[in-house]
Amino acid sequence: MKTSKKIIGTLAIPVIVAAVLLILCAANGKSMIANRTSFNYFTLYTAIVMITTMALSINLGSGRFDFSLGAMAVLASILSSKISYALLAGGTGSAVLMLCLNIVIGGLLGLCSGALYVTLRIPPIITSLGVTLIYEGISFTVTGGKYVMTEVRNASMTAFAGNWYFSALIIVLVLAFIVYLFDHTRFGYDYKALQSGQKVAVNTGIREVPNALWCYVICGALMGIVGFLNVARSSNINGGSLNFGSIGIMFTAFLPMFIGGYIGRYSNDKLGYLMAALCMSMLNSTFAAFSNEISASAQSIINAVLLVVFLIYLNNEGLLKKILSPKKA
Amino acid sequence: MEQEAILRKYKLRQRLIDLLPLAALAALFAILCITVQSKGYRLDMYLKIIFNEGVVLAVVATGAVFIYTLGSFDISLGASTLFSATLGVMTYNATGSLPLMILVIFGVAVGCSLLSSVLASVFHIPVFVTTVAMMSVLSAIAAQIITTNGGAVGGISIPSALVKPLDNMGFKIAVLAIFWLICFFVFDFTKIGRKQKFLGGNPVCAQLTGIQVNKYAIIAFVMAGIGVGLGAFLTLVYTPSVTATTAGSIGMNIIVAIVFGGMPISGGPRSRIYSALVGGFSYILLNNILKLVIDSNIGYGVSQIVSAVFFLAVVYVTGLNYRSQMLPR
Amino acid sequence: MKKALALILALVMVLALAACGNSAPAASNDAPAAAGNDAPAANDKPIKIGVLVSDVSGEEALGFRAYYENYIAKNYNVTFTYTEQLEDAAAEKAAIEKFAAQGYDAILSLSASDRTTQIETCIANGLYYAVVSGMLDDAQFEQFKGEQYFVGQIGPSMDTEYEAGYAMGKHFADNGAKTVGIYGAFIPNPMHVYRTAGVLAGLGCTYGGASDKDGIAGQLFGDQGVNMEKLECGDVQVIGYFQGFGDTTFDELFAIVGQQPDAFLSVGMATTFFADALNGAKIPYSDIDSFTSGNAANMADGTLVYLAGKYSSSIGPIFAAVMNAVQGNPVRDAEGNALSISQSYLVATDSAAFDSIFNGDKGDSPIFSKDVLDTVIGAVSYDDFVKLVESK
Repeated sequence: MKTSKKIIGTLAIPVIVAAVLLILCAANGKSMIANRTSFNYFTLYTAIVMITTMALSINLGSGRFDFSLGAMAVLASILSSKISYALLAGGTGSAVLMLCLNIVIGGLLGLCSGALYVTLRIPPIITSLGVTLIYEGISFTVTGGKYVMTEVRNASMTAFAGNWYFSALIIVLVLAFIVYLFDHTRFGYDYKALQSGQKVAVNTGIREVPNALWCYVICGALMGIVGFLNVARSSNINGGSLNFGSIGIMFTAFLPMFIGGYIGRYSNDKLGYLMAALCMSMLNSTFAAFSNEISASAQSIINAVLLVVFLIYLNNEGLLKKILSPKKA
Repeated sequence: MEQEAILRKYKLRQRLIDLLPLAALAALFAILCITVQSKGYRLDMYLKIIFNEGVVLAVVATGAVFIYTLGSFDISLGASTLFSATLGVMTYNATGSLPLMILVIFGVAVGCSLLSSVLASVFHIPVFVTTVAMMSVLSAIAAQIITTNGGAVGGISIPSALVKPLDNMGFKIAVLAIFWLICFFVFDFTKIGRKQKFLGGNPVCAQLTGIQVNKYAIIAFVMAGIGVGLGAFLTLVYTPSVTATTAGSIGMNIIVAIVFGGMPISGGPRSRIYSALVGGFSYILLNNILKLVIDSNIGYGVSQIVSAVFFLAVVYVTGLNYRSQMLPR
Repeated sequence: MKKALALILALVMVLALAACGNSAPAASNDAPAAAGNDAPAANDKPIKIGVLVSDVSGEEALGFRAYYENYIAKNYNVTFTYTEQLEDAAAEKAAIEKFAAQGYDAILSLSASDRTTQIETCIANGLYYAVVSGMLDDAQFEQFKGEQYFVGQIGPSMDTEYEAGYAMGKHFADNGAKTVGIYGAFIPNPMHVYRTAGVLAGLGCTYGGASDKDGIAGQLFGDQGVNMEKLECGDVQVIGYFQGFGDTTFDELFAIVGQQPDAFLSVGMATTFFADALNGAKIPYSDIDSFTSGNAANMADGTLVYLAGKYSSSIGPIFAAVMNAVQGNPVRDAEGNALSISQSYLVATDSAAFDSIFNGDKGDSPIFSKDVLDTVIGAVSYDDFVKLVESK
């Protein structure tokens, strides 16, 4: 594929989305990103969507459905906020410490989830149901069902949320790390082999269990980062989610995952997730600009319809091309 | 001779494992009775309450078994239940006709199910993603209708006297028994059930033998739709009002119930129609026992953790019969 | 064979469950006598009260719980058992039935999915019932006010919610605010609708041509929020409005914050969700919430300038009414109807006022202390009861 085609293919969807949404906003006298603060939160949301999508796609791409992503993000944030507050009492460096702890604790939670899966050898979707309930239960027990606020409200967190380049830096680092790990290491090659042909890969000597465990650790660490970014965005953690109340976060990542996968045909699927996250973030900012016209219910419906329409296109591409292409005489 | 003995032993082990969900139900039933009696509570009332809590889940989950048998799963059934009940109430309030209300409830439930099925089979969209989109759309529309019409009361309702005569054990047992027996007959004694199990177990082989995937997928969704309709109606019989959160937990509990009842999440020939019934009531019994034993606010988190561990343990043991060398997906 | 055995066992198990429960028609009919308390409880018998809750995380809910469990339960011969977070009407009904099965005496309800079914279930099971910190719809109250087991309701009525919003809006209008942003919390939650209607009226705005409570609230229910195009204001300009909490919330907040309004008015939850952002942006804000240590800090060190709130012990009188009913001293009006007293919000506009309320209603020395409640526990007239509630 020519480089120009790669570039066009990669940028086409975000550029088209940006153009359509900007025209829509301009035509109605609105602005998608009103000011610097809005841009800070735009970047933060882009990071959240990109990393959640990556975490979802790592295991889902291998046929491992994971309902526990949201519960991991919440529990990692709760534990790290408590520890960082105990150590620094909200002082200088609290945000950095909390981010580091979130990554470590998230990784450990992912490891526990993965260990349960490889030990019990029951389908991952079922393991994830159990793990979700367990992690939600721990979060509730640790917080007493309350919002965590004091531990996450400090100048350090405010400074993080108030500067877009911190989020941008996280996007770059995570993207570079994931691209390197999955596209340029032995682990990544094994992952792809297992993804495309589990039985053949195992028969050729690829060790499936360590590979799966690492996938869970990476997912956990990524969701730890998402948990931290969510805290930076909302300055509280809801510890009161029980009975699968935390699984909603997973559903928001479906649309960017499919869009990212499509863009990935022209370049790299991880880069595709970033482009898709940008699209979602622009859509989100547009919804915010039109919040008086488009209710939360209407936003849910629009997102769902976009998902279905995109999937109809994706899964019937060949047929559509056949119908739309000029017939030969 | 020795081989025969080994085979006999193996079959016995398999039979015992197959009976485990039933044994778990019996054990939980006994534990509940002992716990309630030892605390001096009214056992007859408790059993009635638990039956009421479990009957909607059991009915909806029994219908859903047909979808799960195909190896698919539907996360929108809770939202469908809410949506059907909402339109049913709106119909009654507009016409004052109970038969019309019942007709609308079933029509909407089957219609929603068919829409999911058509989207998935005609447009080749993954069933799960279709149902995620349906879940968003149905719950958003239902919430909009309820909150617009609910006003200061916050929900919509039908007169309680209308359904009060039906709010008794005899009616509910009859509904559950009739629906379950129909499902049992279709699932185990007709070619529909056999072909669905074949499709779930080995879709490629099944299609090569001439089985039409779409036809049996649509039948499965229709059966699930009937279950949803019954569930929505029984919900209104128990409490004649609908709020935006009605039936909110059913969607995920169905998955838990079916797996708890000993059915593999991958569907296929090991699917059992009684799984939903056994698993649904087991799960409700387990949760009630834990709430009786563990008290206080913090206890909610702890009881959810214990419930999840018990769930994983039962699924682990019931899955011993079909453990593979590779990690399951 | 295996299939048949499994089938028979499954059916036997479920039918056993159903059959045991099926003795319930008889038992259920007996329930009021058996589970409930037709006969007044002896004074030395501990009173068992079940509390229905739909919020287990909010500051206000936790404050209420602490008052009942840590103060009332220690000072009276009573036990409180809280439900888990009740999601819907079915969960409320099941919770009440379980309390009845456990021999409870009364239900205090902080959950409002379906009040009608709650009361009907309590009546069927012989449990006394009271609405805590809220009010029934007028039609619902008319339906149940004469029922023996319906003790009554003490809390902010929808009129009170409207007035709380109105006072807040008027406060900022009177203090010279020219540009404001509004957060409608969780509209169409009825109390948030009435508060928002009050705020708009207090700011001197009309909504779709209406300037009265019912005119504005009715349209807000229909619109599911504030439609800015229907808003017409005089001196004060509403530069932005948003509601709910989701992915777009902070974008909407910062679209308003970026315009540096003179004030940000919230009808609930702003101190939980936005305190950090508003304190950081140095924008004066208000909320209808509760008197907590977090809000004390927001008022002392942040930019919270107006708080209307309930105090934790405001739910003391309804407990006293329930206790009286269980002990055979029901508080009824001259026509024999249940209690219905609207309770106002307390307002603080500076740290001194906040601290006097906050410190005056703490731990072992609540506003509705044992000494105060004892004056209405026992045989007491309806008027005396009302007088006490309205005195605080």
